[in-house]
Amino acid sequence: MSSPSPNGTIDYTALVHDDRIHASLYTDPRIFDDEMERIFRRGWVFVGHDSEIPSAGDFVTRRVGTEPVIMVRGKDGDVSVFVNRCMHRGTMVCPADRGSARTFTCPYHGWTYDISGELLGVPYPGGYAAFDKSAHGLTRAPRLSSYRGFVFASLSPAGISLAEHLGSATRLIDRSCDLSPAGEVELTAGWVKHRCAANWKALPENDSDGYHLGFVHRALFSTVRSQYQRVVGDERAIKAVVRDWGNGHIEIDWSPGYQGPFEWLGGVSGSAVADFVAALERRDGAEVTRRRLLGGPAHALIFPNLFLGETNIAIVEPVSVEECVHWHTPMFLTGVPEFRSRLLRMAEAGMGPASFLMPEDLLVASRNQLGLHARTAVWLELGRGLNRERVDAEGRTVSHVTDETTNRALWRHYRTVMTEA
Amino acid sequence: MISHTEYRAVVEFLHREALLADEARYAEWLALWTDDGVYWVPATTDPAADPDKHLSHIYDNRGRLETRIKLLLTGHRYSQEPASRMRRLVSNIEAAPAENGELVAESNFALAELAIQAKREMHWWVGRTTHRLRRVGGELKMCRKKVVLVNAAEPLPNLSFLI
Ligand code: FES
Ligand SMILES: [Fe+2]
Repeated sequence: MSSPSPNGTIDYTALVHDDRIHASLYTDPRIFDDEMERIFRRGWVFVGHDSEIPSAGDFVTRRVGTEPVIMVRGKDGDVSVFVNRCMHRGTMVCPADRGSARTFTCPYHGWTYDISGELLGVPYPGGYAAFDKSAHGLTRAPRLSSYRGFVFASLSPAGISLAEHLGSATRLIDRSCDLSPAGEVELTAGWVKHRCAANWKALPENDSDGYHLGFVHRALFSTVRSQYQRVVGDERAIKAVVRDWGNGHIEIDWSPGYQGPFEWLGGVSGSAVADFVAALERRDGAEVTRRRLLGGPAHALIFPNLFLGETNIAIVEPVSVEECVHWHTPMFLTGVPEFRSRLLRMAEAGMGPASFLMPEDLLVASRNQLGLHARTAVWLELGRGLNRERVDAEGRTVSHVTDETTNRALWRHYRTVMTEA
Repeated sequence: MISHTEYRAVVEFLHREALLADEARYAEWLALWTDDGVYWVPATTDPAADPDKHLSHIYDNRGRLETRIKLLLTGHRYSQEPASRMRRLVSNIEAAPAENGELVAESNFALAELAIQAKREMHWWVGRTTHRLRRVGGELKMCRKKVVLVNAAEPLPNLSFLI
């Protein structure tokens, strides 16, 4: 069991109101510890994608919250997630980012595990009267589940299922995957990791913030034309919306502002595109294909750490109360290798420490973090759009893209998770 | 082998490029490039890295290089507003002839950056650079610059200055 929660001393209902939140949520290390327990251990957390570990023995190492894990493909083809910690005295077993292994050997005293986590051997077994190797295998994430190749883990044996957690937000994942004629995406280009001197929650909030674009990204918008141009300028002319999918899953939908297909891909043409469109039409018919190519992939946060960043996939990794890392990789569409170079170049332009967008986002996040240390003023206002948001036929709250509907949705879910029994 | 005079010219070029980057003299730095320039900062130290298969930090052709500079010149590239205070040391320079009369230079660098835009932290950047240089109208220009950071695959802070 983990240490007792300090929940008794922190009243989240006093810190998180419907339209304002308290600055300590970004600065209090006790709250960070609480979040690691309640959000990142008990809840469902995105770990990695099927395509990252295609063959038996392929593995990647990640963190679920701050807990180190190994995601590995077994001999049976199934994916396992193990706590990356030796069952002898706790040494991290695998230090590599990724690789392929037949066994994992702990460097400290040589205990060796196979890729199904089983303890194969203990050097000098004469030191134990009787030793049950089967009781000392690597600890498995208590629950593992995936959706369309996106692998999620929960470090708690009990709780709602992944399907319940995702709810109708599976449609956001569908929106991205269905752009591939094979119905699959591939995350094989490697990840860029961007360090941010801010609380981790700044990343999901900023990733789904449609209000900041014309200000934070003024340099880019005044220099090059992009698909985001239609969300700056006259407030009434902006057609993009934000949407609350429930359970903390939140979306910016640019597509109402798009005027033609492929705006999300910077506009493309040529024979490769014609083949791609034909393949989608064979599967889905002309009308559905037209809608897919107009709308493009999702721009959405799957709570708490998976960001579907249109043509990128990103991960939010908390490090400590004032530090986090934003990972990203381009989302390759299986069966459409012709788009890969373009997707790589788009990923480099949009995200990462040297890109044309994210350095400004993370700079502002770190300056936000500095301001949030003030205690003479303590509230963050999140009331924008309360005067005009509406509930659609499916019960989702929708509003103008610059409205704080997404922030409110995130924090409402946060309050639920942080206060539930 | 190249002549001593040529080696000197390479060293002077590398020193000048470093100075212009350190001092945020963006337009002058851009003028050091040929029209077919490629500026590459891989996201891995793996020598097998392939920019058409793997994500990079930077993989700029001339057009994107110009955009990079234009952003910095707007005054609204807030991650470099004001520009980081920087000084870099360029050392261990080796130069050799390459095809088409070009030169290839390898060097190490260590760069101290004071990122003054928010927390005022010192960041250390260390790596190995490969320059491909060509004479254009009697002057050396770079047609390729590849920078392999020792921590290319680690979480990096903002890298919107010229590395
Ligand atoms: S801690 Fe792993 S073998 Fe001893
Ligand atoms: Fe942004």
